[in-house]
Amino acid sequence: MTTDAVRVTGVTKRFADHVAVRDLSFTVPAGVVFGVLGPNGAGKSTTLRMINDIIAPDGGEIRILGKFAPGRDAAPHIGYLPEERGLYPKMKVVDMLTFMAELRGVSIRDAKLRAGKWLERLGLTQWTRNKVQDLSKGMQQKVQFAAAVIHDPELVILDEPWSGLDPINAEVLREVVAEQKAAGRTILFSTHQMEQAEKICDHVCIIARGAKVLDGPLASVKRAAVKDGLVALAFIDEAARAAAEPVLADRSLILARRPPRPGDTADLEVELAAGAAPEKLLRELVATGAAITRFEVVVPTLHQIFVERVGAENAAVAAHTDGAA
Amino acid sequence: MSGGRRPDWLVIARREFLERVRTIWFLAVTALGPIGMIAIIVIPVLLARVNNGATVQIVDHTHELGAPLAEEFGKLGWKTEIVAETTDEATLLGRIRDGSINGFLTVPSDAISGSGTIVYQGDNATNQLVTIMMWRINQQVVQHARGVAAGVDPAKLEHILTPVAIESKHTTGEASGSSAGAAFVLGYAVMFILYMAIILYAVNVMRSVVMEKTSRVVELMVAAAKPQALMMGKIIGVGAAGLVQIAAWMAMAVITITYRTQILGLFGVAGDGFTLPPLAWTDAVVIVLYFLLGYFFYAALYAALGAMVSSDQEAQQAQLPVTLLLLIPMLSMQVVANDPRGGAAEALTQIPFSSPILMPMRWLLGGSSGLDAAVSLGILAISTVFVTRLAGRIYRVGILMYGKRPSVREILRWLTY
Repeated sequence: MTTDAVRVTGVTKRFADHVAVRDLSFTVPAGVVFGVLGPNGAGKSTTLRMINDIIAPDGGEIRILGKFAPGRDAAPHIGYLPEERGLYPKMKVVDMLTFMAELRGVSIRDAKLRAGKWLERLGLTQWTRNKVQDLSKGMQQKVQFAAAVIHDPELVILDEPWSGLDPINAEVLREVVAEQKAAGRTILFSTHQMEQAEKICDHVCIIARGAKVLDGPLASVKRAAVKDGLVALAFIDEAARAAAEPVLADRSLILARRPPRPGDTADLEVELAAGAAPEKLLRELVATGAAITRFEVVVPTLHQIFVERVGAENAAVAAHTDGAA
Repeated sequence: MSGGRRPDWLVIARREFLERVRTIWFLAVTALGPIGMIAIIVIPVLLARVNNGATVQIVDHTHELGAPLAEEFGKLGWKTEIVAETTDEATLLGRIRDGSINGFLTVPSDAISGSGTIVYQGDNATNQLVTIMMWRINQQVVQHARGVAAGVDPAKLEHILTPVAIESKHTTGEASGSSAGAAFVLGYAVMFILYMAIILYAVNVMRSVVMEKTSRVVELMVAAAKPQALMMGKIIGVGAAGLVQIAAWMAMAVITITYRTQILGLFGVAGDGFTLPPLAWTDAVVIVLYFLLGYFFYAALYAALGAMVSSDQEAQQAQLPVTLLLLIPMLSMQVVANDPRGGAAEALTQIPFSSPILMPMRWLLGGSSGLDAAVSLGILAISTVFVTRLAGRIYRVGILMYGKRPSVREILRWLTY
């Protein structure tokens, strides 16, 4: 498949007193897991809602699967797990799934078959004829996943999928995402939980205050962040470290030293001076004869990139809500 | 995939319909409605029979009226006894207290010759039937005695005292006229059923909208279908469940009224020959049209209300203005019944808030011409389209709003989104 799954071009959405999304553009290639990342209030849900035609943009254009505008024609090709999750409490579990499939364009007979298969797949067969309200919250979450993908959509959109999930269901969701990806589907999701995103994303788009900060394949985003030059070092003992000290003190090589990150086994991290390549530092260190046990160019985590690019203020908001969710 | 795809409103309407029809409550209310109707006919008749057992003593100071009075009361199945005229009131009151009699009738000595007042005192004096019978029998017996005293030939007297037959027939000049009471009962019944149905099902639409918001399922729904389709599907699905119920009740009502005598017979009660005027097919069309339009009109209003609030409690308060709109026609019902062709009735049956409830009644009472009804239906239809559009706009924005209740200004702004 060569067409893009979603192409967002110059989209803007204003609410009464603020701009929720500002001239936003990004492209979701087909078949990837694409994360829209940002602190709360960045405009992630608004963007996903516009793709789902729940709200209309004030400006710009959204194309889905290369041929649809958001709306009824696109609906059968999209699966959606909203952040505000809910099911009809008095409906039987099987009817709920059948209904959602039918609304997404599956014939009623086929919808029933698929509902049965999904309930079996999620281990909920014995609850088929029960009302949704009889299910535990965890079981309802599973039904919600199934409702999002029961019609085999080409594009699966998940808004803050991990918020409120217990660890078991978080794992089930990761499996569902992996399966969907293996089947060639595109997964577009939003989150402010960078650790989750780092585990499953192929592509990311970081937005803050309604505008794009950066986007691209996760690997290139990380590679780009490496340029700043951070090296983690460890020595066999204090004597080895002392031997290396003259090199570590050389301001033409090293701009600053900092303690290792919590839980890291490095002795220290050093920030390379402008124009100083990691291999030059390595050569100089080897030349001192100090016994080095670790020399690693640090690849920043998504969280670190996020903090750096979005700013400490916004990152604090994200970290705070991480704890809450 | 989208080749033979069903319209969203239809899929949604089916869900709403099935969710209602499949509940045990729906079956119970649909079945119990007719049982209630049978009860309405049978119970008053049975109760009236239970009342037959009054025990009355007569203190007759005329020495003449006691026997005929006792005889007439006896025909009703009452137990009567003429007691000595010396029996004092305290003794008789004591008998009422200890329950040996229901009451006593004191006939003064000048009841025939003069204008003495016959007094009944009893624990059942508030009973309508007892009061009516007391009045009718005393009237008849005393007038008969006065006639005899005046020397009127007893045969002629019989004829003079025969109750005059009076019957009022309702007509507005077109038809041959039917029983006024029966026409009123039919008009009233139809109005009441329409009022109940509209309020029951339209409010049901509102509750359903609020439920979707509180259970947070609404976002899943609006991603899959247009809010307009969601609202129409809901109104149509709930309305269809309502129609099924009303149809069941109507069918049962027709059967009950047609076989009234037989049903009463099952309970050992004789029928009274009361018949409702027949319903012409035009009448049925008028009733159904007003129900459908009236239901859509109010259901759209209630759907918009549901979209504005975020909990059942808020909905209770917010629905007051619309409920008042529905109450106005209920309270003005007598205006239409008293003068179906008057100006007030005319106005009330043209205003879209009250026409769905009052026009069928006015039509059945013959107060409305075909042109009147057509104009009223036209106004109602246009208003319904207008209200549905407006409600759709409020609904579209409102269903995704949680928390704070919107101000009037905010709602007005929603209309422009």
